Amino acid sequence: MNIWNKIKLHIRELFLVYCREFKLSIHDGGIMLFFIFIPFLYPVIYSLIYNPELVRDVRLVVVDHDRTSESRSLVRELDACQEARVIGYAADLDEGRRAMDEHECYGILEIPEGFARKIGRGETAEAVMYCEMSLLLRYRGLLVAATNVTQGMGAELQQRKIDEIAPLASTVMEGDLLPIHNISMGNITGGFDSFILPAVIVLILHQCLILVSGMAGGAKVENRLLIGYDSFNSAPSVAMTMLGQTLCFMTMILLPMIFLIHYVPLIFRFPMESDIFHEFVFLTPMVIACLGLGFVVQGFVWERESIFVLWVVTSVVFLFLSGITWPRYAMAWPWNWLSDIIPATWGVEGFVRMNTNGASLSQVRQPYINLWILAGAYMLVGFFVQKYIVRPRIMASRHGVDLARVAESGE
Amino acid sequence: MLRSVLQLVRRPLYWIAMLGLPLFLILMLTSLMSEGLPAKAPAAIVDKDGTSLSRNVTQNLSGMQMVDIKYSADSYTQARHMMQEGKVYGYFLIPENFEADLLSGRQPVITFYTNMAFYVPASLLFKTFKTTAVYTKAGVASTVLEAVGQTEDEIAPLLMPVNITTRGLNNPELNYAIYLCNSFVPCMLQLMIMLVTCFSLGQEIKYGTSIQLLNMADGSIIRAVFAKLLPQTLFWFVMAIFMEAWLFRYQGYPMNGSWFWITLSELMFVLACQGFALFVFCVIPNLRMSLSICSLLGILSFSIAAFSFPVESMYGAIGIFNYIVPTRYNFLIYIDQALNGIDIYYSRWWFVAYIVFMLLPLTYMWNLKRAMRRPVYAP
Repeated sequence: MNIWNKIKLHIRELFLVYCREFKLSIHDGGIMLFFIFIPFLYPVIYSLIYNPELVRDVRLVVVDHDRTSESRSLVRELDACQEARVIGYAADLDEGRRAMDEHECYGILEIPEGFARKIGRGETAEAVMYCEMSLLLRYRGLLVAATNVTQGMGAELQQRKIDEIAPLASTVMEGDLLPIHNISMGNITGGFDSFILPAVIVLILHQCLILVSGMAGGAKVENRLLIGYDSFNSAPSVAMTMLGQTLCFMTMILLPMIFLIHYVPLIFRFPMESDIFHEFVFLTPMVIACLGLGFVVQGFVWERESIFVLWVVTSVVFLFLSGITWPRYAMAWPWNWLSDIIPATWGVEGFVRMNTNGASLSQVRQPYINLWILAGAYMLVGFFVQKYIVRPRIMASRHGVDLARVAESGE
Repeated sequence: MLRSVLQLVRRPLYWIAMLGLPLFLILMLTSLMSEGLPAKAPAAIVDKDGTSLSRNVTQNLSGMQMVDIKYSADSYTQARHMMQEGKVYGYFLIPENFEADLLSGRQPVITFYTNMAFYVPASLLFKTFKTTAVYTKAGVASTVLEAVGQTEDEIAPLLMPVNITTRGLNNPELNYAIYLCNSFVPCMLQLMIMLVTCFSLGQEIKYGTSIQLLNMADGSIIRAVFAKLLPQTLFWFVMAIFMEAWLFRYQGYPMNGSWFWITLSELMFVLACQGFALFVFCVIPNLRMSLSICSLLGILSFSIAAFSFPVESMYGAIGIFNYIVPTRYNFLIYIDQALNGIDIYYSRWWFVAYIVFMLLPLTYMWNLKRAMRRPVYAP
């Protein structure tokens, strides 16, 4: 009976915290801004930036010292590639260089004299392409174009020559001797948007939760007169407060999350190989881990707005540590270790595999288990931070410590 | 002025935001990619042939620098599962009867699969796989040609009648760090400068101390803002110079132009970022809103400033926004002056843009003055 009463009391407490948090959050402009701004606006802007997916028509200038039909045909072929566009001829390298310095073009193709003669003689005809290296995607475009053209022209010339000089060989080498196929998995077009956005979606979710949590934590310490509400008219137990807040934020993130993981990929036609239910199941521990991390962060955030200054820049850190751009196997051990303890790393890893590669939940069990471990760990650390740092501070601020003075004197 | 210095020194938050985080990020980004290119991407091979020729291909593949053939799968499905589980980033498939088909001219197909969900390792695997496949093909072709009586000298050009050599100017080994750190590190600095500027000004309004600040400056908003931001400016100058030295001297990233212009660019960059943030704050003298806008712009800068995806490939309506962030100009000047080392003449407009950012807040300063006289805090 006694235990039953205790449970009842706790549930009642939980319910009260939940309702109060909900009310506070909805009336807090800053928190609502985070809940609306970050998950609804940000992914759309971000997707729009990269939405053209591929880099096409990288501008190129030609310096043709040969001026034969073969050299012109090379230029034509290059221009016909979707990756490159020939914007004109330059008289010499200097002129081409000037065009590059003026940011008119990003590559110079130099065809030496005797290009056609070498083809006629059956020697390898060489040309050089100088590429400006500020952006790797531009270089990649030019490289792909150059490779395609060399192979296309090469195959044609090869066939002609073989027929000429070794008729016998053509019986064996008719057509392509050994066709080589390449298949891009997951992100089949190799587009940039489809590559980066699934990871960014998870990061947005991650950062949104921590920012909200941090701001809510800061709000509680602030002077009630500044905020206009009393966040602690009763003081329920720390564990129930945390649970109540977690449930409250999980409820509030539900809609934004559906938009993020289902509608954003749908709108911008990213790969969608998994279904939303499994993705939800996968991301749930990440949400809990993020809120746990948020409780830890609350220990350092003593003011609503501090969270901006302290936390926004970590998005960049987490994006790199997640291994989406720079693979985790090539990281030095301290970074690998650091990335291990960040929920976003495993969230990104698993979500990308599910969403882009069509992995099932059992295939991403490793990240999934890691997320649950992190969720537990952060909640535990968060509990101690709440109990021994945050709670006493809130109590102190309730008793009318002048916050302006606290801020001035460096807390 | 002394007051603003004290404010900076006394709050640990500023220490973290101005010293801790920027230093951490500079060191992190540069050390994370210190290898230049990630070698040894895990991959699998599916050898369904099991002949000496197919084993030869496997051996050649294992010998390549960029790939680590970790697994040998029995079937395509098994290899795909490994990829889905994240054990490998790609796999190479040698079909059944590969050797027999090849030698009898039945055109077997070599297929390789790369997981483009992870761009960098997939691109490196693609390159390695393709090279191996092409070498295999060339080896077979030359055997056939030798068999019909061609000499080696004749065969070599036959295998490659036309060749375009690509030369990456000033970054020949395609060092990923050079291209990434030089753009991301200043962009991160921009974010921190903007946030700290707005935060420190917003604090004055939040706690109503802006009246005191104005009084100390004899009612001149220009003097008040100047005194408030100058200590930060000096600090950021030091940070920017450190960043420059770290990138171009200690990391040894290409520096083919004059140190003078780059240094000038970094210093003006700091002022431009402050000017930009100040402008945002003048227009919206509200702590939370200005911080939100600075965060949004600061984080979007990493994409909109076109560090990886070129502006000319973006939608026009989106692409034009790359002009509104200072870090874009820092990037352009870095390309011209440090990477390519071309004449300063070509970068003249980027420096003008810096000046525009510095002067921008002057147009709206009156609004800030009004807000500082009657500080209202909106949570």
